[in-house]
Amino acid sequence: MIILRNLEKFYEGGYGRSYVLRRVNVEIKDGEFVTIMGPSGAGKSTLLSILGMLDGAWTGEFEFVGHMVHRLKPKERVELNKKYIGFVFQSYHLIDNLTVYENLDIPLSYRNVKSSERASMVCDTLDRFHIVGKRDLYPSQLSGGQQQLVAVARAVIAHPQLILADEPTGNLHSSQGKEIMELFKKLNGEGTTIVQVTHSAENAAYGDRVIQLADGWVVSGASVGDRQD
Amino acid sequence: MHFFWLDLRYGARMLAKAPAFTAVALLTLALGMGAATAIFSVVDTVLLKPLPFRDAERLLVIWEQNVSHHLDRTFVSPADFLAWQRQSHAVERMAALQDTRINLSGGPNGHMEPEELKGERVTADLFPLLGVEPTVGRAFRPEEDRPGNTNFVLLSHSLWQRRFAGDPGIAGKTIRLRDHPYTVVGVLPPAFAVTESGVDVFVPLGLNPADAHTVNNRFLRVIARRRGSLDQARAELDALGAQLERAQPALNTGWRPEVFDLREELVGGVRRALWVLMAAVGCLLLMACVNVANLLLARGATRAREIALRSALGAGRGRIVAQFLTESVLLALGGAALGWLLAAGAIYLLVHAGPASVPRLAQVAIDLRLFGFTLAISLATEILFGMAPAMQGARSPLSVALNEGGRGGSAGRAGRRIRNTLVSTEVALAVVVLIAAGLLMRSFIRLRGVDPGFRPAGMLTVRVPLAGGHNGATDRRIAFFRDVTDRVGALPGVRGVGAVNALPLTGLDVGATFAVVGRPAMDQAMRPVALSRSITPGYFGAMGIPLLAGRALGDSDTAQSAPVVVVNQTLARDFWPRGGAVGGRLAVDLAAGTRVAEIVGVVGDTKAESVDSADWPTIYSPYPQLPSTALTLTVRTAGPPLGLASAVTREVHRLDPEQPVADVRPMEEVVNLAMAGARFNTVLLVSFAGVAFLLAAVGIYGVISYDVSQRTNEIGIRMALGAQPVDVRRLIMGQGARLAVYGIGAGLLGAGLVTRFMRTMLFGVDPADAWTYAAISVLLALVALGASFVPSRRAMALDPVTALRHE
Repeated sequence: MIILRNLEKFYEGGYGRSYVLRRVNVEIKDGEFVTIMGPSGAGKSTLLSILGMLDGAWTGEFEFVGHMVHRLKPKERVELNKKYIGFVFQSYHLIDNLTVYENLDIPLSYRNVKSSERASMVCDTLDRFHIVGKRDLYPSQLSGGQQQLVAVARAVIAHPQLILADEPTGNLHSSQGKEIMELFKKLNGEGTTIVQVTHSAENAAYGDRVIQLADGWVVSGASVGDRQD
Repeated sequence: MHFFWLDLRYGARMLAKAPAFTAVALLTLALGMGAATAIFSVVDTVLLKPLPFRDAERLLVIWEQNVSHHLDRTFVSPADFLAWQRQSHAVERMAALQDTRINLSGGPNGHMEPEELKGERVTADLFPLLGVEPTVGRAFRPEEDRPGNTNFVLLSHSLWQRRFAGDPGIAGKTIRLRDHPYTVVGVLPPAFAVTESGVDVFVPLGLNPADAHTVNNRFLRVIARRRGSLDQARAELDALGAQLERAQPALNTGWRPEVFDLREELVGGVRRALWVLMAAVGCLLLMACVNVANLLLARGATRAREIALRSALGAGRGRIVAQFLTESVLLALGGAALGWLLAAGAIYLLVHAGPASVPRLAQVAIDLRLFGFTLAISLATEILFGMAPAMQGARSPLSVALNEGGRGGSAGRAGRRIRNTLVSTEVALAVVVLIAAGLLMRSFIRLRGVDPGFRPAGMLTVRVPLAGGHNGATDRRIAFFRDVTDRVGALPGVRGVGAVNALPLTGLDVGATFAVVGRPAMDQAMRPVALSRSITPGYFGAMGIPLLAGRALGDSDTAQSAPVVVVNQTLARDFWPRGGAVGGRLAVDLAAGTRVAEIVGVVGDTKAESVDSADWPTIYSPYPQLPSTALTLTVRTAGPPLGLASAVTREVHRLDPEQPVADVRPMEEVVNLAMAGARFNTVLLVSFAGVAFLLAAVGIYGVISYDVSQRTNEIGIRMALGAQPVDVRRLIMGQGARLAVYGIGAGLLGAGLVTRFMRTMLFGVDPADAWTYAAISVLLALVALGASFVPSRRAMALDPVTALRHE
């Protein structure tokens, strides 16, 4: 599904280039549950942003579901994001001024799904995640666990093939975190590819493979070769 | 005290650190307060302050009306005035006035530069009736108001200063008026005016009841002081009118007194326009307050973390509130100082450029109470909205504010709703002001488009008053104007010259009843009225008034030749609807008796009173056959009219160095003056509309811009969830459009209610003019979209990764 070849990201500074990611070569197959780990500043979240097409300022090659992302225009990259990817964030990133129902509706509205179809998809998802009773509440009226549940529901509502999760349990206590990880496991079992960034070894245990990053380098876990130097 | 200075210093520093916010807030406040104070001061002086007379509320003005002639507010005949004065009990005292022009040619020390003065002939009762005492000398004594003994004069304060250097001993001295010695009895208080402003001298009227020639002509204004109620005075005078009709049917058939409150008479014409302007500046002040409120709310929201930190560091609620209060007051006082300057500038402009039709405009000055009122409103706004974040911040849990930066949650939603409502309100107010201005502008354009019946461009006008001077005798007048027009006509750069007793667009002036000879005789009371104009042969050509039939008046039409007249199209059409006016004969009732003359030509209509008034039937007589005491030269010039002003004046003075000339001005200025009232209203309201437009744009921009900054994180989320830049633009501009739609909807309803009161201010435009309503709606919608466009571009350019990290 994902092949990264010699992918690099850097910032130009007065003292020269400052690398965030260095010669990253990674392959992720369809249906995998991959965990990206590493200390703070290793480049985990940056890598996740690049995989999610949110960050377009990098060099190297990025092949995604047969598309050469490095050759695509920004608009085409957004189209790939819309078609294949769902996001889950550490701080949930629900929109404060929208209800649970409206938050779930957003990804569908950007995918030009008809409104009648959207309503039924949102209702199905509310049902599937057992949050029907919360549909008219605002994020501030939910607990952290409930908010992350809604965030996961939002990530899967458009049936993405890939879910990218950035520290999905970082703000949750252990039982809530476990619940979310079980959910990911279940989704993975249903065929969704999952790439998560986490500091928790416990969470990493839910996945098939760990890609270890340090100072922007892939230290281990890349299926296409290991550290390249 | 220590804390106060600390807060003051910190407040000033905070304002200086946000220069854009401070500048917009100060300017907004200054515009609102300045405009409001200026117009409130005008309205207060013109409409609300009592007239500067004793018991002014009991003063009346009395006209005569004739329903069958459709004549309203006409002058009063001395016969009727004297009868009312004798017989009325409901009226305590009555005085009469007549407008006049008087030539000044000498002062106490001998010869003076001649000047035509604006004067009023008044009965001696006038000053005691009004309760006005001269500041120097005394008022007229009854014996000074008797026929044959009226060479006494009261000077206006401004003339006394301008021509007599404020001589404190002027009373009792002699000056030359109308080439005769007049004794100055006193000087009136500054800005003294009864019904006309800018009057230089007051002389006794000296009515002679025995003079059958003048006693039955209608030329007096009457001022009175009532004893009882206005209704009692009206009822009694009406009954007296009926008696006089029976007693003197020749003079009074169909005529009745018409009684009005003096204040209503003076300000009635401008009342509506001033209230509309007041409503407009009220809207501006509100808009300014709304804008500042929004700015403060937006700024306060960004400071929630600062408030929380201060609380965490031990600041009590009182200290935080005091800090914000100091900042708010500082801002309000800064805005007030700027507003004061703006108000002073605006009042200076209003006083110097305002139309003469607004009474007491020259007395307008910044009213401290009104300035205090606008300051109080802006202070209240500042304090209320400036302190709201401090009050709210001091109440909310610290952890929430510190962690969330005060973002999101129900409080955020409520704040956003308040800001959106405020901006929609602002748009609604802007729609009302803009529609009112749009209607006036369309009306003014229509007014400018009206053909006055002559070509004003390239024409110089010079008034030459002969009354009382060396040239006053009838024979001398005719020869004088023949010589003047010949000499001026020979000047290089002059293409044509004529003269007329009353220029178009300067008022109805002389009118006369008439009858068509050979048609069934009409009762005197039923005779039609026409304007009477006395002209020299070149008048029509110089003015560009087209000859439609027959011939114009020429040199062959002398005092000795057969009486002839030229009539205008309206008169010809009214009395010869199938044509054939030329050759007809008119019997015109003049002061000197009835004059029967043959119609030799028909000319186009000209506007006599104002551009928007109906065309009056007009009779033009050759000057030698109807020689009035003053004519205005109309000089068609090849170049700029004023370029020939001194040459024309020189030619008049070559004939007589003592002859004053007055009103030397281009005809275009006369036309402009005739539209001064409409222009004044239009310019003011359009200026206010410009400010309203600006405030609305700033308001929408401010709110959307602030919202974009607050929604950075949300925009990042949306982008992560698949939003394209165009979706982001739609989101942001959609918000602006929604605010505009609500505001425009409410504004259209408001405008529908408000503009109904403007009907009398409009010419050729309906108050519900769909075109104006639609244009303003589209304009405001475009402004809203334009004001949202810049923030939307900023939102589109956001990097989703950065946006997601934004707190």
